[in-house]
Amino acid sequence: MSRNLLGIRHLDKNQIEDLLSLSADFKLRVIEGRPVPKLEKLVVGMLFFENSTRTRVSFEQAAYYLGLKTANFSASSSSMSKGETLKDTILTLRYERLNALVMRHRMSGTPTLAARHFGGPVINAGDGQHEHPTQALGDALTIIERKGDLAGKIVAIVGDVDHSRVARSNAWLLSKMGAEVRFVGPRTLIPPYSALLPATVHYDLATGIADADVVIALRLQKERMSEGLLSSIGEYASMYQINKETLKYASKGCLVMHPGPLNRGVEVDDIAADGEQSAITSQIENGVFVRMASFYWAFSQNLELETN
Amino acid sequence: MRTLLKNGRILDPSQDLDEVSSLLLEDDQIVGYGREFENVEVDETYDCTGMWICPGLVDPHVHLREPGGEEKETIITGTQAAAAGGYTTICCMPNTNPPLDSPALIDFILDRAASPEAGGVFVAPVGALTKGMKGEELADLAAMKKAGIIAASDEQFPIQNALVMSQAMEFCVQLDLPIMAHCEDTNLTRGGSMNEGSISAMLGLRGIPRSAEEIAIVRNCLLSLHTGCQLHIMRVSTWGAVEMIRQAKFLGAPVTCEICPMHFTFIEDHVGEFDTRFKILPPLRTQVDIDLIVQALADGTIDCIASDHSPHASHEVDVPFEEAPFGSAQLESAVGVTLTMLTHKGVLSPLETINKLSTKPAEILRLEAGTLKPGETPVAQICVIDPDCEWTFDRHKTFSKSKNTPFDGMNLKGKTMLTFSGSEIYRDALFPDSRYTLS
Repeated sequence: MSRNLLGIRHLDKNQIEDLLSLSADFKLRVIEGRPVPKLEKLVVGMLFFENSTRTRVSFEQAAYYLGLKTANFSASSSSMSKGETLKDTILTLRYERLNALVMRHRMSGTPTLAARHFGGPVINAGDGQHEHPTQALGDALTIIERKGDLAGKIVAIVGDVDHSRVARSNAWLLSKMGAEVRFVGPRTLIPPYSALLPATVHYDLATGIADADVVIALRLQKERMSEGLLSSIGEYASMYQINKETLKYASKGCLVMHPGPLNRGVEVDDIAADGEQSAITSQIENGVFVRMASFYWAFSQNLELETN
Repeated sequence: MRTLLKNGRILDPSQDLDEVSSLLLEDDQIVGYGREFENVEVDETYDCTGMWICPGLVDPHVHLREPGGEEKETIITGTQAAAAGGYTTICCMPNTNPPLDSPALIDFILDRAASPEAGGVFVAPVGALTKGMKGEELADLAAMKKAGIIAASDEQFPIQNALVMSQAMEFCVQLDLPIMAHCEDTNLTRGGSMNEGSISAMLGLRGIPRSAEEIAIVRNCLLSLHTGCQLHIMRVSTWGAVEMIRQAKFLGAPVTCEICPMHFTFIEDHVGEFDTRFKILPPLRTQVDIDLIVQALADGTIDCIASDHSPHASHEVDVPFEEAPFGSAQLESAVGVTLTMLTHKGVLSPLETINKLSTKPAEILRLEAGTLKPGETPVAQICVIDPDCEWTFDRHKTFSKSKNTPFDGMNLKGKTMLTFSGSEIYRDALFPDSRYTLS
């Protein structure tokens, strides 16, 4: 039995707990040098239709620890550049007997389409502005490690929420686990109809991060200026930057997180990004272990790790 | 050759007629209706007991895709689908490749539609309003009118420049040519793929705001009011759009509008997990919109029902949601959906249903259609509907080349049984043999 990991929206609390405890277990085994259960003889197609270094390497590393073989696929050098449809590409990989797909695509919902045609597990590595489930899992593991639990915590997601799959996946995961999620940003960068997303909306940074246990700053893309959504980077930074001053509004010891890559001096300053409150390096490290857990979870319904 | 359509409910809005009687045809013409015809000698009889005998349906908004899109639909398959749906006159849209912006292309369409393999229905072409539908220079409207266009439209490439639209309207007043307008401010749409709302926010899809439609409607209605140009607004989808049109009509603008079955049946939630069958332009909105649209259908603010038959090939729609084209096959489901969603729910009377599907669109576009009066149509144009036939729509049993439809598998009540376009007759497989007598 296999299953897809298309988004956190589709998971229930038990499934999220399974994934997080698997991740913690994998992390301990790797750090302590204990054996890790192997998923040998399985091949995973790595379909990155959108540029990604960090996420791709993280999945590669997770696969390596599990003994999975990866087959790389890049859209520009494949037959898709010759006009092949995505469906035909997916069917080709299916009949080449690949066992799973990891997929990143600039359009929302594309892994859902792939899953319909592939017939084996599909893991979403980020689709458009929809979901980035493994990022949210890594963030959650980081918060649990540093804060003990997710339930009852206040997590403020600050910045370009509208264009962010990280914000959506995190909102689903954290709210399902009992945290209070807030979206904080300018009106032009918060989805205009956010009623179905499990978060409250704040346009003012001070009230938005008041008493927050965790602040997740989102990357600001330069094109938001040319699209007329913001006046200037300077104005954005003056209103929404997470720094020593603005962190005073949050609770003492509030974690600073960021999905990367960072625009230092824009959404975070160096002190927030590198200070002792920062959990950014843990997010990156934990990304590998949650991706190991995601592979294992996708391939196997039996979640007890064999002790070999 | 005499044919009797016996003992049906004759519904003809052009005569305000709703009575159980029989209709007599001689060769390809209607002789008349009346009980007395039941006693004359005929060659064949269709027993229409329990069924409606109506003027052939008129669809103001169909995409036949030819030339250039033959993998989606052809004039032959599209007209066959129309006949199976009960339509005897369809207006075909100019957004083909190349676009219908010259008289030679209009000749081509009319030629193909008259070919013996075609469905036998009348095709009334709509010409492009501007050259290449680029929204810049007017197309050869006078020459195309001579060739047979019944209206002009830039369809899914609506003119953004108000001056160009205003001048197009002035010119069309002179030609006495209606403009059909898909209303959309494309700056506001920004390449969106579904309604801007809570579902688009959740799915991370760029939304199409309702204001994109409503602003363009207001602009076009005001230009129509001030130029006096007849304007037919295609496929309204929001309650605000309906209110703007209501206001324009109140002010005396020569404005009419249509709605498509998708827009009174489905809402944004139906997009579900990126289901491209529910991708349509303008997008599916909300239940509040449907509630007010249904009221506007009942009170006449919405004049008629168009199928917006927009066929696509299967490989074109099995793609990421944002890449998928807008629209789906509609001709063969429109009657069933309209009766199921509106007539049987008491929104429209049977007579008003036929008015919206036949007489009114014919009147708006000044077509020789939409009536059972003898001699008022070139040949007899009749549609027989069994309003109580319960059936399940099966996309694999359609004439359209496109198998892309959101109505697949839906249980419907009401089906076209017979379509007469002169001597061309479509008879549905569900019309019982026992009801047909050859003398």
